[in-house]
Amino acid sequence: MNARDSFAGRAATPVPQGLIDGPFHQRLAALNHARAWYDWAGYAAPSVLDTVEFEYFALRNAASLFDISPMRKFRVAGPQAEAMLNRMVTRDVARLAPGRVAYVLWCDEEGMVIDDGTLFRFGPDDFRLCCQEPMFGWLEDAAWGFDCAVTDETDALAALALQGPTSHAILKAAGLDLGDLRPFAHREVAPGLAISRTGFTGDLGYEFWGAWDAALPLWDRLWEAGRAHGLRAVGYEAVNIARIEAGFLTAGVDFQPVHAAERLHRGRTPRELGLERLVDFGKGHFNGRRALLAAEKRGPRSRLLRLDVEGHKPAQGALIYHGRRREVGHVTSGTWSPTAKRNIALAEVRAPWGTTKSGDLWAEIYTCEEGVWERRMVRARPQRAAFYRPARARATPPADF
Amino acid sequence: MSARYDAVVVGGGHNGLVAAATLARAGRRVCVLERADRLGGMAAGGAFPDGTPMPRIAHLLYNLSPAVLNELGFGAGGPVETRALPTVCLDPEGRHVVVRDGSPVLADGRPHPEAEAYRRLAARLVRFGGLLARLADAPPPQVSERLADLAGMRRLGPLAALGWDFRKLGRGDRREFLRIVLSNAHDVILDELSDGPLAGSLAADAVRGAWAGPRAPGTVFSLMYRLARGGGAALPLGGMDAVIAALADRARSLGAALRTGAEVTEVRVEGDRACGVRLADGEEIAAGAVLVATAPGAAMRLAGPAHYDIEAVRRLRNMRAKGTAAKLNLRLDGLPEVPGLGPELLGGRLLLAPSVEQVERAFDPVKYGRVSEAPVIEAVIPSLTDPQAAPHGGHVLSAIVQYVPHAPEGGWTGAARDRLRDVALAALETALPGLSARVTAAETLTPSDIEAATGAPGGHWHHGELSLDQLLTVRPVNGMARYRFGPAGHYLCGAGAHPGGDVMGAPGRNAARVALADATAGEAAA
Amino acid sequence: MSEHGRYDAIVAGAGHNGLTAACYLQKAGLRTLVVEKNDWIGGAAVSRSLTPGWTYSNCSYVCSLLRREIVRDLDLPRFGLQVIPYEGGGSFTRDGRHFGYYADPAQLRRELRRHSPRDADAYQRYSRTILRQCRFIRPFLLRPAPDPLSARPRDLGELAFLLKRAHGLGSRELGETIRFWTASIGDFLDEHFESDLVKAHLAGSGIIGTGLGVYSPGTAYVLLHHYMGDVDGAIGAWGFARGGMGAISNALAAAFEEAGGTIRTGAGVEEILVDDGKVTGLALSDGAEFRAPIVASNMDVKRTILRHTPRAALPEDYLRAVERFKIRGSSAKLNIALDGMPEFPAAPPGASFLRGDLHCSESLRELERAYDDWKRGRWSDEPYFDMLIPSQIDPTMAPPGKHMMTVFIQYAPYELEAEGLRAAGNWTPERRQAMAETVLDKIEVACPDIRRRIHHMEIRSPKELEDEVGLTEGNIFQGELTFDQLLFNRPVPGYARYDTPVKGLYIVGSSAHPGGGVMAAPGANAAREILHRIGRAGNMPDLAA
Repeated sequence: MNARDSFAGRAATPVPQGLIDGPFHQRLAALNHARAWYDWAGYAAPSVLDTVEFEYFALRNAASLFDISPMRKFRVAGPQAEAMLNRMVTRDVARLAPGRVAYVLWCDEEGMVIDDGTLFRFGPDDFRLCCQEPMFGWLEDAAWGFDCAVTDETDALAALALQGPTSHAILKAAGLDLGDLRPFAHREVAPGLAISRTGFTGDLGYEFWGAWDAALPLWDRLWEAGRAHGLRAVGYEAVNIARIEAGFLTAGVDFQPVHAAERLHRGRTPRELGLERLVDFGKGHFNGRRALLAAEKRGPRSRLLRLDVEGHKPAQGALIYHGRRREVGHVTSGTWSPTAKRNIALAEVRAPWGTTKSGDLWAEIYTCEEGVWERRMVRARPQRAAFYRPARARATPPADF
Repeated sequence: MSARYDAVVVGGGHNGLVAAATLARAGRRVCVLERADRLGGMAAGGAFPDGTPMPRIAHLLYNLSPAVLNELGFGAGGPVETRALPTVCLDPEGRHVVVRDGSPVLADGRPHPEAEAYRRLAARLVRFGGLLARLADAPPPQVSERLADLAGMRRLGPLAALGWDFRKLGRGDRREFLRIVLSNAHDVILDELSDGPLAGSLAADAVRGAWAGPRAPGTVFSLMYRLARGGGAALPLGGMDAVIAALADRARSLGAALRTGAEVTEVRVEGDRACGVRLADGEEIAAGAVLVATAPGAAMRLAGPAHYDIEAVRRLRNMRAKGTAAKLNLRLDGLPEVPGLGPELLGGRLLLAPSVEQVERAFDPVKYGRVSEAPVIEAVIPSLTDPQAAPHGGHVLSAIVQYVPHAPEGGWTGAARDRLRDVALAALETALPGLSARVTAAETLTPSDIEAATGAPGGHWHHGELSLDQLLTVRPVNGMARYRFGPAGHYLCGAGAHPGGDVMGAPGRNAARVALADATAGEAAA
Repeated sequence: MSEHGRYDAIVAGAGHNGLTAACYLQKAGLRTLVVEKNDWIGGAAVSRSLTPGWTYSNCSYVCSLLRREIVRDLDLPRFGLQVIPYEGGGSFTRDGRHFGYYADPAQLRRELRRHSPRDADAYQRYSRTILRQCRFIRPFLLRPAPDPLSARPRDLGELAFLLKRAHGLGSRELGETIRFWTASIGDFLDEHFESDLVKAHLAGSGIIGTGLGVYSPGTAYVLLHHYMGDVDGAIGAWGFARGGMGAISNALAAAFEEAGGTIRTGAGVEEILVDDGKVTGLALSDGAEFRAPIVASNMDVKRTILRHTPRAALPEDYLRAVERFKIRGSSAKLNIALDGMPEFPAAPPGASFLRGDLHCSESLRELERAYDDWKRGRWSDEPYFDMLIPSQIDPTMAPPGKHMMTVFIQYAPYELEAEGLRAAGNWTPERRQAMAETVLDKIEVACPDIRRRIHHMEIRSPKELEDEVGLTEGNIFQGELTFDQLLFNRPVPGYARYDTPVKGLYIVGSSAHPGGGVMAAPGANAAREILHRIGRAGNMPDLAA
């Protein structure tokens, strides 16, 4: 039985409690030796299938499959879809060509980030927005007064991420040669199946978008093609290491999506997240623009920094100090990078230490080794670029490995 | 070819005219654009089939802002000559009560048993209303993000003035103000008076035009608001049309251009700044500022939702504007003989609100889309006071009928309209027997008709309910209370803005002053 | 018999607020006596055995607002208090539909989507707003109300605390807060949701115990009043006191007695004795008299002042203000012993939400009409009810396999209209029964077999609640929770610090700030105020700290 049908009707059938199965669940369950599931928007999603390290290295060294179906997916279509989206997101949607994908942000009226996501353009009047947070009500409000329709495709569209250096070779082996597909481009390869050259790992990779009911054959096709190319199914823990290396943000971890914040003043502006390049003040009004202009004058309250942390102990949860004494921020995501061979972290640091005075930062890391706790104060150096950004991710056509 | 003005004003009702006159007086080139063929909006008059003038919607003056009168050079007398009317609380039992200057007597001249209690209550409400009036002549107070900065302190100015007046009240009055300001009319009235026509009339004044019964918390606030200038109702000689004509003349003489039959279909915005308007016939008029006297939602649609934040649009859409007042205008060939009510009293402001409970009960049906079977009515027979009101003889009766839904179950069919007329006439007949026989022509305006005629959403007189959640810093909606309305140079100057409805002129004046201040600051910066 | 005695303080009424105040006074070193008119203690937080084998929480019936600071400080768990959260709730319709307000967030979201995908998203925004308001208000509950007209340093301190918190909101959120506090729950829900059933389910908390309709301004605050509690930190969650609501009173009484306090039941206050503007003690209905310089009344302010205090001892304007204080009866109750679990054919088999609060109201319109009936002096034709079967969770409430059901009914007037007259005396046994039948007819919407399951039923109109518990008009909050009766206006402007014009006489029940619900905050705040005035504030912990 399809998971969606179990609560679609008005009959007194129980609405499922707890986690429900995603479209690839049968395959994932068979592979999930660790029996480690976590809650991703109500779906049972694997955090680890067998071993984090091996999954991570499959991702960076060969190829990985990761189910991203719980992402929220919304179709926005109609003559004024572009105008509607342009008023909502901070980038200029008019400059997004059909067949292209853009990473976008959208803010509330006070300029605080509601969520980030990827915006696909299919044609002049046809878009899809993919993101983490429930957004249907917001999109409907945003669409009021515009000639366009919003459809929630979250439970209709399965999505799968194939990421890693051999992912293009696997595509070819599966009979899908997309050698000319450039980064941030997408294409419909068969009726109801689209592939985009996007991902959350900073590496060469593709994402598949197809009908929920046709998910298992898609998995099997890629799985079969991947046998000779080191393909491995992975859980979120491996993906999380890769995305920190790539410097990508996770909503609810690196910033608090403002609509999900019960407490006041938890929102952050794009500049505070280091994403000011995604804000186009010149394109006309967009949500929060006036507040953001005022915020530009005031200057950011904090800044999300990429930190290169001394030592080997991951800085997850560490407090950040200036001059070893003054507490000025905290690490939002931290990990040892097995590829960059560095101890890396994303950290929110208050102004001015996060902005103009970002020297002399220290991370306070607590370790517990076999029952002995230790506190270490180690240097944390801000870094501009992503910690790992391989050239293969951008090469077109991509290499086979 | 496009003309260029410093400012255009969209909507030629009283607020639009006051805004235009205020701008013109400061030397700005202004043009008023009115969609209808005559100026006036809610205050525009009409005519019966025989040519007798008809007070179409508004019929009395309560609350003309003294600041407006002053600044536009009308003096305390106002733009036209008026006659103060006594309030006559009609009693179906015949024990009518007359209130003059806040003091009630029985219509037959005997003292009213609760005269003293009424005087005390009314005087207190007027005193408190005067306090609130302090807030009417400036943008609403706003707590700034930074209390410490100068602009932030200035915004608290009106609040400080109110605080100063408040200190001058006696201690008991201060306590009482803070207790009742958020209370409901039902309790505050019935704590002091027994229920009957006198109490009922006060309750009716508290809820006139409102989607609320007297039991609703917040109705004391609206009652005080109504009483802010003493509460006396005045009949303008020549009708509300004369008021509009006087305002229009003043605006013209100050240099403003007034155009009727000019429907604005779009406020043009460039670079997040309003730069003019487009008319229905395609004409474009460039302007440095655009002041819109329409309802807030309509003003937002004129510029287009793309120029507003999503939350602002949501708030504007949710602004409550459910009109409950209908209008019945009657042409009479003569007056009925009403025992106990001579022509002098019949010429007063006639209130049919037999008790607070009945006002509350009249409200109930409208919640479910039905017309009240025993409506609350405010009626005037202007022709008894003003000879111009019926130049061809006979009389005119103008009645505000409450509660009437904007969208009744089954819609406003002809039959539904006739039924509304009959219900209202039957109600009037309980206190003015013989009235129906005198009617030679009648016009019924439902809230839906009022919306069609004036654009007021839901036919709501105040362009949005005057309830606590839509007043002061949150009028018309949170974040837009200080007349600036989305893009720079775009202002709201109608009744949907602070301080709200009634033929008061304050929103128009305050908005124009904000626009002037912005323009001056812009010129200084340039 | 005539008993006499002298104490440092006497508390009139052994309700939860009286007992809380008594605990703190006794622990601060005052010899304290609690007098109670009934033969049992607890006021409206009681567990009664009215049919052998069953326990009824026959007045208040669920628990959330009880301040955890007080529970912890008085160590009530040691005296047997255990609060167990209950699971969600549900609403049923005549045509066999239901809405399950599941405790599991994922399940709740799916259920909301079943009714409206838009509402599922809107629920996030809705609960965020409510939680923000809860966070704003909670710090005020264990403090005296700020009084803008007082120049006393302590009051200025409270005012500064309020202004600081209000300013901390920022202008946007402050505007939203103003809107929330002045809005009706109906308008607030209409702004968020489209499903009538979802709206009706959520609206109930805005009218419970209140003489207002869902579209009356101010009812959004009443909803907040029901959400600002918590169970173990889960804000807005509700639970059962194991053993019934009497467990709360019993734990408080035990804590009080352990501290050396005395409780005397079976005789109520006849007169509060006043001499030269100072309270001197109490005369009880059985002739006993006790002396004390402090009398803390757990009775509502009208009953305390108008019935039991000599008028001559009070200024006229104070008496007028008390007379004007609105305490309106609007609620009734059915308490039912069931010989088995009733069936809910519309609910999914084994639905967890049946262990929560159940309703049969379908729309805001229906709820508003129920209010219209009350305004006319009648019980609602289509009453709103809040129905729970606590014995599903608490095994002490009924014999194994049997159940106890509590049905809170809104609206029922205190002065019932009959033959053209409105009077409390119109609540004859026949009319009470007729009201119960109206309610049972409606319960049948959810459980058609309810009548066959009834083993014993107690019907309580506002009149019975008044007579037995001593609540004026049977109002559960000891006074309407409207703007004009909250904060510094509660119960009487100028006397919001639990005091009265009679020196030594205090109002410590729900008539005082922050109002009703089994919260114990008025009692604790009042005790602190009393101790402050006799220079012993240091003997009580600062619960707000």
